[in-house]
Amino acid sequence: MTAYAELMIGGLMSGLVVGLAALAITLVFGIARFANAATGDTMTAGAYVALSVSGATGSVIVGGLVGALAGAAIGVVVYFLIFRKLAGRSSVANLLASIGVAFIIRAIVGVIFEHQQQVFQLPLVRPWRILDIRVQPSDLNLAIVAVLTLATVFLILYATPVGRRMRAVADDPGLARISGISPTRVMIALWALAGSVSAVAGVMYGIKTVVTPEMGWDMLLPAFAAAILGGIGHPVGAICAGILLGTIQEMATPFVGFTYKLAISFVVLLIVLLVRPSGLFGRNEGAR
Amino acid sequence: MEAYLVAMAIITAIYVLLALGLNLQYGLTGLTNFGHVGFFCIGAYTAALMGQIGIPWPISFLAGAALAALAAWPLGLVSLKLRDDYFAIVSLGFSEIVRIVVTSEQWLTKGVQGITGIPKLLGFLGTGLTQSLAVLALLIAVNVLAGLANRRIVRSPFGRMIEAIRDNEEAVKALGKDPAGFKIQVLMLGAALAGVAGGFYAHYIGYIVPEQFIPLITFYVWMAIIIGGVGRISGAFAGTLILMIFLEGSRFLRGVIPFVSEVEMASIRLGIIGLALVLFTLYRPQGLMGDYTKR
Repeated sequence: MTAYAELMIGGLMSGLVVGLAALAITLVFGIARFANAATGDTMTAGAYVALSVSGATGSVIVGGLVGALAGAAIGVVVYFLIFRKLAGRSSVANLLASIGVAFIIRAIVGVIFEHQQQVFQLPLVRPWRILDIRVQPSDLNLAIVAVLTLATVFLILYATPVGRRMRAVADDPGLARISGISPTRVMIALWALAGSVSAVAGVMYGIKTVVTPEMGWDMLLPAFAAAILGGIGHPVGAICAGILLGTIQEMATPFVGFTYKLAISFVVLLIVLLVRPSGLFGRNEGAR
Repeated sequence: MEAYLVAMAIITAIYVLLALGLNLQYGLTGLTNFGHVGFFCIGAYTAALMGQIGIPWPISFLAGAALAALAAWPLGLVSLKLRDDYFAIVSLGFSEIVRIVVTSEQWLTKGVQGITGIPKLLGFLGTGLTQSLAVLALLIAVNVLAGLANRRIVRSPFGRMIEAIRDNEEAVKALGKDPAGFKIQVLMLGAALAGVAGGFYAHYIGYIVPEQFIPLITFYVWMAIIIGGVGRISGAFAGTLILMIFLEGSRFLRGVIPFVSEVEMASIRLGIIGLALVLFTLYRPQGLMGDYTKR
């Protein structure tokens, strides 16, 4: 029983990572209208930046913040150089370009940071025991980081003018434009937000496991699955679906084995697309 | 040197087969298959496993093609219900699942250790240049056959139908034709070609591990057909040739530029493929040899 409780906690943690990555995907999908395959590698880049900054300054918090800023910078640069010019082209063209972006980011990361896996240097802390269940204090810290990130994102989306504009564009781009909303400014905010959220997810994932150039790409499938399960373009849905999916994957590991847990997200993705493409929370927008 | 050139030509010919399959699916029918390497993998493992127990290559290659096509069938059914970009994600996921399965089912595939000692193709010719040349000749014959079949398809009513599906699916439906069957057939055909390519690959290289079947391979093939011009059969040949010259050339370049390790070169190669994907999508979606009047 305690083993399951510990698995459950592990699942919640990886669920938060998946949820944050899915949030980044769903934000871009909702507003720029394509599946951004570079999300995973933005995670990786964020994790590496955070790793080297925290190595230099000795503070993981500073490292994480710089990592998030780097993620935002990557998002904005990629938007200006590439996706701004692809606006109005098919979603497949955008998706293909985003895969190119993913490769470029991974190549740069690979050249700068080499291919050996690295770990965040964290002080070893004795886990707490609550009702005989081991709880890592670092897990609690990561959960707080995730909640703070989510709070920031939702504050920006629902309590600031730029967030309102972003939601307006997501609802109806044409109507938003004739209401005098500048698409460029909305897009800059969107890409900065999505980039920093991906980077935070990458940092969290890196702290929980190890940092490798492939870590982000491997998270892409679960993140896509969660974004679609939550209903594309639906931020709350992405988070809930991410947590659900992450927990299911970890809880199923003793039964299906370590390698097959990734297959669970694929099965979920397929079932959702075929049975209820609008996802758990989404409007019926049509995946067909 | 000759041996090297022949080896290069063989790998190129294998990639041309892959490109012909994808060209049929994406170039002609507009199916966004991001999981091509999955079919390649199925073909390679089938042919390798059957070859190990002594089944002659023509049978094992056909079996590989058949299994790959069979795996494409459910994917085709799924594709009918999904938008292009969703299908792309699903097919990408499919190829990752194939890789996970061959990694996990160790009783069959030996997992990450892979399958070694796959009998050489046309092994009765020894292991020298003669054998390589014979393999190359066989591959070229298969390629020509596949190219001709492809051309025949393009010029048939079937070809006009699939191109119509690519250009305007709604109009096809409005004319009372059902695109569903055509899409599934095309997906299975392309997958079978990839399966045959996998058979050649396994029996030429002699060993296979799951790491050889990463999504990057899929995007090599995508890059090849985009360079060559989407929807053109000659483009599949030319694009693959250009891609291979680049991939191999980067190996030589490493000898010229100092201080670049092989690992770094692999990263640089990945980056250049990424850059090419981005630049072609931005500035020349019809490919180098595509229609210059269209943007």
